[in-house]
Amino acid sequence: MSTTTTSRIEYLPRSRRRLLVAVALVGYPVAVAALVGLKHTGLNRWLILAVFLLLLLPTLAALAVGYRYARGRIDGRRARLDERDLSLRQQAYALSHRVLAAILIAATAITEIYLTSGNTLRLDANSFWPAVMWVIVYLPALPSLMLAWIETDQPADA
Amino acid sequence: MPDHQRRVYNRLAVLRAERGLSRKQLADKLGINYQTIGYIERGDYNPSLELALTIAELFRLPIEAIFSLKPLTPLSEEVFREPPAEPR
Repeated sequence: MSTTTTSRIEYLPRSRRRLLVAVALVGYPVAVAALVGLKHTGLNRWLILAVFLLLLLPTLAALAVGYRYARGRIDGRRARLDERDLSLRQQAYALSHRVLAAILIAATAITEIYLTSGNTLRLDANSFWPAVMWVIVYLPALPSLMLAWIETDQPADA
Repeated sequence: MPDHQRRVYNRLAVLRAERGLSRKQLADKLGINYQTIGYIERGDYNPSLELALTIAELFRLPIEAIFSLKPLTPLSEEVFREPPAEPR
């Protein structure tokens, strides 16, 4: 990414950053749900794949912007993190933990309600793979996304 | 700034302008990132005690002349304020 693009990402207003975070978090489950739904329609599998990838694109873009926005402040790649960066990083990790805990509790509760309602849950590669992908995609990205969510707008240069 | 924190008012922008320093120049002297100066000036980030003391040392002013828990009056007003009339 060019320096201009990086600078533009750095100065993204918080409202737009929060929208990107929402897209990043919701996009993947929506794409997977669409994939599952389309599989039952009997559509051409290549068309289904194309729709799935198309739905996935905004998520990937939002994840890339979120990662770029963090500018190495989460993974410690930035050589000099000052006290505000360190404090923000701590807040981002704490919020990530809360979000992750909320998602896990909600998922467990939904599964429990589903199972106690007399339904059965079949765990195979098809149902397990999206969950594994979710963990692979979101676990490393969550702190960067939360940083983009909490940081206030940058003051104008003076 | 987290909600549980009290706002700390400061005169950093005025002092920096008086000395003709850009945010980047001041940040380099303090060993922090230039954005942090902007956040402190705007009251969005409360500096640590160590950083506040370093800033006070750099401007050669007492810390209470730069940072306060109450809104600060303009420096000129404080300097040229009429002393209270002495009782006769």
